[in-house]
Amino acid sequence: MKKLIAAAAMALMTMTGGAFADGHDNFPERPIMLMVSYGAGGATDFQARIVTMTAGNEDALGMPIAIINKPGAGGRVGWNWFATQADSDGYTLGAYNIPHFIAQSIEGGVEYSAESFEPIANWGADPAVFVVAADSEFNSMADVVDYAKANPGKLTFSGAGLFVGHHIAALQLEKAAGVKLAYIPNNKGGAGAMKAVIAGEVLGGVNNLSDAFRAREAGNVKILGVFDLERNDFLPDVPTMAEQGFDIDNASVNFRGVMVPKGTPQPIIDKLAEIVPTMFENGRVAGKMKAGGSPMHVMTRAEVLEMWAAREKTLKELLSGL
Amino acid sequence: MKTFAKLFSLLTVTGQDIRTTGDAALEFLAYFGDVFTPINFGLLLIGTIGGLILGATPGLSPTMAVALLIPFTFRLEPAQGLILLGAAYTSTVAGGAVSAILLKIPGAPANIATTLDGHTMAQKGQGARALQLSFIASAVGGVFGVLLLIFLTPMLAQWALAFGPSHLFWLAILGVTVIGSLDSSSVVKGLLSGCIGLWLATIGFDDIMGAQRFIFHSSVSGGINVIPALIGLFAIPQVITMFAKDRRKLDAEVLTVEHHPIGGAIREVFKRKRALGIGTITGSIIGLIPGVGGQIAGLVAYDQTKKMSPERDKFGTGHSEGVIAAESANNSMVGPSLVPLLTLSIPGSPTAAVLLGGLLIHGIFPGSDLFDNHPEVAWTFINSMLIGQILMCIFGLYVAGLAAKVAQVPNAVMAAVVLGLAVFGSYSVQNSMGDVYVMMTLGTGMYFLERFGFSAAPLVLGLILGPIAEANFIQGSMIANATSSVGQYFFTGPLNLALIAVVVVSVGYSVWMELRHRRYTTKDDAVSKEEALS
Amino acid sequence: MTDLPRTQHIIASGLVAAVGIAVTYISFTQEPAAAFLFPRLISTVFAVLALWTFGKALLGRTKVGNGLSRQAMANILPGLVVALVFVFWAARTLGFYTASTITFFILLSLYDPAPHGEVKTWIKRVVITAGFLAVMYGLFAMLLNVFTPREIFF
Repeated sequence: MKKLIAAAAMALMTMTGGAFADGHDNFPERPIMLMVSYGAGGATDFQARIVTMTAGNEDALGMPIAIINKPGAGGRVGWNWFATQADSDGYTLGAYNIPHFIAQSIEGGVEYSAESFEPIANWGADPAVFVVAADSEFNSMADVVDYAKANPGKLTFSGAGLFVGHHIAALQLEKAAGVKLAYIPNNKGGAGAMKAVIAGEVLGGVNNLSDAFRAREAGNVKILGVFDLERNDFLPDVPTMAEQGFDIDNASVNFRGVMVPKGTPQPIIDKLAEIVPTMFENGRVAGKMKAGGSPMHVMTRAEVLEMWAAREKTLKELLSGL
Repeated sequence: MKTFAKLFSLLTVTGQDIRTTGDAALEFLAYFGDVFTPINFGLLLIGTIGGLILGATPGLSPTMAVALLIPFTFRLEPAQGLILLGAAYTSTVAGGAVSAILLKIPGAPANIATTLDGHTMAQKGQGARALQLSFIASAVGGVFGVLLLIFLTPMLAQWALAFGPSHLFWLAILGVTVIGSLDSSSVVKGLLSGCIGLWLATIGFDDIMGAQRFIFHSSVSGGINVIPALIGLFAIPQVITMFAKDRRKLDAEVLTVEHHPIGGAIREVFKRKRALGIGTITGSIIGLIPGVGGQIAGLVAYDQTKKMSPERDKFGTGHSEGVIAAESANNSMVGPSLVPLLTLSIPGSPTAAVLLGGLLIHGIFPGSDLFDNHPEVAWTFINSMLIGQILMCIFGLYVAGLAAKVAQVPNAVMAAVVLGLAVFGSYSVQNSMGDVYVMMTLGTGMYFLERFGFSAAPLVLGLILGPIAEANFIQGSMIANATSSVGQYFFTGPLNLALIAVVVVSVGYSVWMELRHRRYTTKDDAVSKEEALS
Repeated sequence: MTDLPRTQHIIASGLVAAVGIAVTYISFTQEPAAAFLFPRLISTVFAVLALWTFGKALLGRTKVGNGLSRQAMANILPGLVVALVFVFWAARTLGFYTASTITFFILLSLYDPAPHGEVKTWIKRVVITAGFLAVMYGLFAMLLNVFTPREIFF
């Protein structure tokens, strides 16, 4: 009787599902999953949903990509899972956030490092910016630093957590300006940190450019500076930190992209690395990203590998001073 | 259908007038007709019915239902996509009451309070009545909430921002004080259950510093997720209870559902003004505050109504005020919970965060951009939630009529179905086998603890409130250390003092009631009460 | 028979108290102290309340909770074993759909009061199981696109 049921179940499944594959020529044969280590609705989640929406097209992967959220502890929960428990068969992709996971692996207490993952391609680069409430008396970074010099350790400013891009930016600012600041990490990510700024719970904040752009459009904040090497297309009027006299590079820029766990077969990595960047460059994707205020920056696997290595070196230097 | 056409033409006519006169307060009327275009109304229907079904399925929370619908909105117009999402949000919250009442399994954390009286009513054969009351109360609360959203948004936005870390901390403490009085059978065991929940919430990485706490098995390395825990703590004890029943007597154990007239239910809801009023207002206020969300609105409203009701002893024994307060609260929070999102672009709850994604994907930024440049999107969305509440109520009442059929499902089938849903539901939250193990472990443990007087509702409340209290305390004290002192930050300011006063009154009242109860309760009463509960 | 609930109460509250004490010990011995501030507070209250409950159980003063009768335990055992095997072993090893179909059928056969000897009973059980599988597959795999671990047969 049980056999009969199993047979019936099998028949039902084979009608709807796919068949086994021995080689990797036909990859992918079933839908693919993309793990995002932040909650649904966050900037990473939102962008991941957009850049993967054309995956099912015939000229892309030909199979849809579904987003799975594993949020918690600034991304540590998701990346720990990805490094230790995810299947390395090419059907489990993960979204990375640089400098977050590299900074966390340098800080310790996690089960991953840059060596645990194989990058596929990068889709976006979201610089950190310094924001203050719309009615704040600060109008430039100089005002902020002057206040901090007059009141050491009393300038409270929010960010998305410890050892994420915002925290790196905060550390760089402290070092470059030679002041002591009070960084308040938020447990609700960038959105929570932004709320703290708008509500006046803190005097300022480091936040994602994409979120800050939106908040400024809504008339809630002023953006005083960009933690990047050059001005951003979304905010041509906002000067970089270097322009305002602070020696700060792009170490905190939040690079987002796709990776697979170490151990994924090389042919699959090669195939993904070839197709995924073209999928990101799709015109519809670019249009939606621009409409959502999210800066794009497509990079190939080779470029990402180089960027990871460079970032790891910079972060080690920066964090060793703690 | 004719009535709809009539209504439609009426609304479009008035709509045109207002559109030309430009009366800001009544702007929403101008876009009322847009809800009734065939495609929009069709989407509203699909969202409402689908939401009810998903909401009634144990393990599918409103946030998940909305997140799962996002891909479908890619191909729709912005307003249409939002109609679908808004309708699904509204009706999943209400749909959770179905399983809460019939099976004692809350569809989402928002429906926990509904189990307390709703399921007891169902056990007495009043399942249909409980469902009718819950849907009517939901609709009343929901309409009130959306009206607040329409008329008071700018004022409410300022309110929502007024709650900083110290206030959220006190609010969480207020929630904790509910724990002791939630379960009438034993205050100590209620508090102990709550403590177990608070402790379970600390497992995993701590949210701010990233330190690992109590990770004794890899399944809990990500912490204990509220949804799988909720499924386990409520569904698994029900499954095991069904196993425990004697097979031969099975026919006698099936719930009976007596017919109940809808008119009677409507009259009853409006007669219970106190429960309806407290539920609706508490729900609206708590829904408004970013970061607390609707998860505790039902429980706080239930507790407040119980304390203010002269019939407080009837709570927990199938009293209609309990159902009305809980359900009007959890639907009235839907409208206000969108205020911070729509005006300030700050998502106040996980569901609002998902809705934000649904807006951004069409290049619409919540805030002034939304109301100034895309009023047709904003108002069609808000109006559809208003109509959605009424549709939800109509379909809900239809579902209530079907309750008798659900109740006739034999125990053996029901146990197996619930077990299957519990496993699939907890797995699908984040595709994690660990969540399924956690769900089953907590559920099996809870069954045995329940046999000895512990209860699941305070435990889940602890699990929800623990992280809110802790994160806000730590953030608050970090800000306090940088600027003033911890004492000054947490104990001064009108809002802090008001919240502390409510906490003190709430605790004092519980203690007073407990003492009075002890003095007047003879041993015989205690015995008969215990029998009534078991 | 009267002593059975009391013994059970002592065992249950004793276990809870043991967990409370263990948790308190762990939270006071772990570092960093800042991250364990809340756990220390909560676990202390947890342990105190648990010991109080344990004390009341020892004195036989527990008022609520009826414990478990021998009959109920005997009724639960087979179903609980099947459920635990399903969750902790079969779901992952055999695949979600295969395992839940088998579990569903076994539970139905165990707890359905209809006589086992009749063909009609078995046909009914198979039909219900097939219907359940179809609904689960339709809801989770097709409508909600949930990725379950690969099945053993396909």
